[in-house]
Formats: sequence, C-alpha cells, structure tokens
Amino acid sequence: MKGLTGFQPVEMDSSNKNTENTRSRRYVISKRLDRIFLELGHVFAFIARFFKEVWFPPYEIKEVINQCYEIGVRSLPLISLTGFIIGIVFTNQSRPSLADFGATALLPALISVAIVRAMGPLVTALIAAGRVASGIGAELGSMRVTEQIDAMEVSATNPFKFLVVSRVLASTLMIPALTMYTTLVSLLGGYLNVHQNEQTTLITFFYQVFEAITFLDIAASSVKSVIFGFTIGMVGCYKGYNSSKGTEGVGKAANSSVVTAMFLIFIEELLIMQVINALRVF
Amino acid sequence: MSTSENKRSIIVGVFVFLAIVILLAGIFTLGGQQKRFMESIAVRAVFDDVAGLRAGNNVWFSGVKIGTIKTINLYGDSQVEVVMNIEQRVQEYIRKDALARISSESFIGNKNIVIDGGTQQAPPVSDGDVLKAVNPLNTDDLMETLQKNNQNLVAITGDFKELSGKIVRGEGTVGAIMTDSTLANDLRTMVANLQQTSRSTVNASKALSQFTSKLNTPGGLANELMTDKEVFEQLKTSMAQLEEATASANEITENLRTTTNRLNNNNNAVGVLLNDQEFAKQLQSTMQNLETSTQKFDQNMQALQNNFLLRGFFRKQAKEEAKRLEQQPVQPVQQVQPQDTIRQQRQDTLQQKQ
Repeated sequence: MKGLTGFQPVEMDSSNKNTENTRSRRYVISKRLDRIFLELGHVFAFIARFFKEVWFPPYEIKEVINQCYEIGVRSLPLISLTGFIIGIVFTNQSRPSLADFGATALLPALISVAIVRAMGPLVTALIAAGRVASGIGAELGSMRVTEQIDAMEVSATNPFKFLVVSRVLASTLMIPALTMYTTLVSLLGGYLNVHQNEQTTLITFFYQVFEAITFLDIAASSVKSVIFGFTIGMVGCYKGYNSSKGTEGVGKAANSSVVTAMFLIFIEELLIMQVINALRVF
Repeated sequence: MSTSENKRSIIVGVFVFLAIVILLAGIFTLGGQQKRFMESIAVRAVFDDVAGLRAGNNVWFSGVKIGTIKTINLYGDSQVEVVMNIEQRVQEYIRKDALARISSESFIGNKNIVIDGGTQQAPPVSDGDVLKAVNPLNTDDLMETLQKNNQNLVAITGDFKELSGKIVRGEGTVGAIMTDSTLANDLRTMVANLQQTSRSTVNASKALSQFTSKLNTPGGLANELMTDKEVFEQLKTSMAQLEEATASANEITENLRTTTNRLNNNNNAVGVLLNDQEFAKQLQSTMQNLETSTQKFDQNMQALQNNFLLRGFFRKQAKEEAKRLEQQPVQPVQQVQPQDTIRQQRQDTLQQKQ
C-alpha cells in the first residue's frame, strides 16, 4: 500500500513533549479518522489510476472479453432467475394494496415503474455484487497473497492494466447488459402473475408498462447500472489488489468486497434517485 | 486465438447484442407510444390552473391519444401556457374552434388534456395555433358546491322535521288523516267503495269485451256490416236511390203545392169551380134546370117513340141493334155507374168545399 499510493500517516516530532502529547500529535485528527481518510485517499488514487490507464495501450481486449464472459454471461442464469422471481413476488405482494382501491388494473404501471426505475438495476447490482465483486476480490486477493501480482510487475507486465482495468471495464459494460435482461425477465414474471390473476393480455400489459415510464427512466436506469457496474468492479479489484498478506486476507478481501460494494450501491441508488427526481421536474 | 476464446467472444458479442436489442426495443416502443418519433405540430392553450398537469402527459382527442404535453410555462399574470405536440396526421380532424380541457386518466390517475368540440365550418388547426381552454373544476370548487348542498340538505331535513312533528301532533290535513279515526274510517270506506267501483268497472269491461267479441263473431249482423264489402256497396246504392226518390218526392210535393195554390185561386176554371160560391150556386141552379130539362126531354122522347110517325123508325133501329148484337161475340157487360150516383158525388164535393 505504501508503495502504491505514497500516502503515510504524518509522524510528529515529540522530543520536547510528554508521552501523551506525543501520542496525540502523531496523527492529524485521530488514529481512526486518519485511517479512514487515508483509505479514501487510496481509493481515489486507485480510481484515478484506472482512468489514467484505461485510455492508453496496451489494451487487454482478450482479457476484457474473458471477464465479460465471466461477469456477464455466467451471471445471466442466476440474475435472470432472481429477476423473474422478483417480478412475480413483487406483483403478487403489490396486488392487495391496489385491490383495496379497486385499482388492480394499475398493476402493470406499478410494476413497470418499480422495476425499470429501481429494482432492475438494483437487484442486478446486488446479485452481481455478491457474485462478481466477491469473485474479483478473492481472485485478486489470492494473486496478491501468492505474489503473482508482484511477479507480473517484475516481468514487465502492468498488473493494474491486465487485472484491474480489464475487470472494471468488463463489469461496467456487463452490469448494464445484465440490467436489461433482468428488467425484461422481471416484467415477464410480473406479466405471468398479472395474466394469471387479471387475465391481462401481453400487448395490454406492455402497453401499460410503457405508458407509465419515460425516456428519463430508461436513461436513468442505464446510467445507474453503468455506475453500479463500475462500483462493483472497482470495489472488487481494490479490495483484492490491496488485500493483506496471508490466506486470511483473501477471505477478508472477498467478504469486504461484497459488503462494501452493496453498501456503495445503496448509497449511489439514493443519490442518483435524488438527481433523477430533480431532473424530472424540468 | 483459440477456439474456446473465439467461442467466448462470440457468446459475449451475442449477449451484448441482445442487451442492446432489448434497450432499443424499449426505447422505440416507448417513443412510439409517446408519439416521440412522429411528425407533429405544436398547439397551445392557456389555462388559469393546470391542476398538476406535467410535461410528457398525454393529449386525447375523441378518446384517442394524439400527442403529449411538450412544455408548461407560466404566462401573463397568473396563467399557465401549455404547449402540446399533436400528431400531424390528426391535424385535419381538429378544428380551430376546438376546446382544450384538463381531465384525468382515472380517479387517481395522471392529468391529461382532452381536446373536444370544434365545428366543421372552422378550418383545421395549424402549427402554433392557440386553442380555447376550458378551466377544470378544482377540489376547492367541488368542496364549495358540496358545502352548499350540505346546507340545503340541513334546511330540507329541518323542514321535514317540522312537517313530521305536525303530522305526529295531528295538525294539518295529513296530520288529521293520520290521527283522526273518523277520517280514517271514511277513508277506509272510500277505499272500499273505490274497490267496489273498480270491481264493477272490471265486470262492465268484461261485459263490454264479451259484447265486442260477439260483434266480431263472423256471420253476425254487425260483423257482416263491418266486414262484407258487397253489403256495403248495396247499402251505398240503396242510399243513392233513396236520395233520388227523396228528390223526386220533393219535386212532386213542390208541384202539388203549386197546383194547390192554383186551385185556391179564382183566376182559373178549376179554382172558380172550387172556390166561387156564387158560381157554385149558379152551377147548382143550372144543374137543377138541366135535370128538369132532361126529365122533360125524356118525356118528350117517350112521346116521340109512341108517335105513329116515328114509331117505325125506332122499331127499325131496335131490330138493327138486335141483329148486330147477335152477330158480335158476347162481351162482358161493363158496370156503368148510374148517373144518379155521379151526380150525388159531385154534390157532396161541392158541399165540402163550401
């Protein structure tokens, strides 16, 4: 870490002070806060390095495609199944609330708004965080622990470009694609439930679905999923790339990748929602 | 590049391609549904209150979605200008005098603009036109009307309370009916009478029904009269003949009256004969003289027959007469009224006239 970013806690000269004063003056704010800000600094440096490396050759196209396959194609069954179930469950659970108003005809509109605006990107990102971020974190963590990354550096291969840039790019590209599939499959799940209960036809269902949403919703969903994909890739890579030594570090990297990615996804969802709602007014 | 890497690349390519297809399908479906990719014209309407209408909401015409709200801007002092994008293909159906009003897609649904009305005399709407706006009823207006209704309801129930109190106390006609036992009995009797009357009416109508059914029985007089065309024609002919007969009778009567009038006058022979008493006396006297003369003439004739000079002539004549009678076939003898009888009748008539 030290070699990577160059950030270090500031050590104060304590020759003429007592021990207590010396301890308190060794950190800028406090030990814990200094550590948090240091970590933040590392994160921004990591992100900055990504944006610096991504534009310049050599481009690891093959590795990007490999990662796209791993992250996108291999996650499709899990995410599709999850999305389909969520579509059915959400529709079924929403029905009683609308039935109280005699407004079950509005179910397609409700499902549409919920899935396109929020649940499609969010569910995809959460599932991907569980599967992809942990995978990347564990993979890069084990490479760090087994000094494969150091070996790459020694052999004149840029490990950041090969490992981090390719994975972050693949994740950033594949999560939006997965979001499209999840949204479609969730809507189909919702349709199945609506058709079973309200005998609504497929055309009517999708007509009502598109009646309720706007271009802004689709754009917001796409942008959101790009940001989620970037977050998942970046968190997984950061945690794995900077994992501590030992086998314990691999598990820790995988675990913290999932937790951090999910936490960040929720935070981002909240912020993006505020921005989109602000845009919706205009 | 190995085969497995190629395969992976192709799968990833297909995966991304399908994702893009889904995205584009969604965008085009949404655009098509929201009429985003169609040629459109912009028309405006200025409302006092848009009741929560938002850009992107739908515009309807005769129950058909024809466009969307493009922008909503504050206008003038406190009005709101709404710019609508309307499909160009429906332009010819919307007239310049059409009305734009704010409506709701359902009770809890989005607001929209409904364009309705417009006359055939007005030209079709064109780009940039301003439609007449009908301002919507807002909740406050509804509540105000509802409050007035409530006040009316309170007044009505107050009146009704007073009325029912009077009825209970037996005041007024209805109260008396409700509380007075005599009136109630009278009413009951009246109802019983009415029932009796209605029963009688029923019986009468039954009898009438039977009578009319008899009238309608085929072969009956009334039915024949009503249905047989031949009888009707005969009746018509008879009536015409009767009319002719009546006309003739009138003519005869008229002639008779004229004749009678003449008979009553003395300016003709019969009138004088019938009406002039002096002439009658003279005539009577003449007749008496004539009778006397006739008797005397008879006596003279008998004397001539018995005269020897003429006796031969009369005998010869009698013989010729007898001979002629023998030669002729026997004919029935006509009863000749005796001359005395005729004379007597004439005298009776004269006396009656006098």
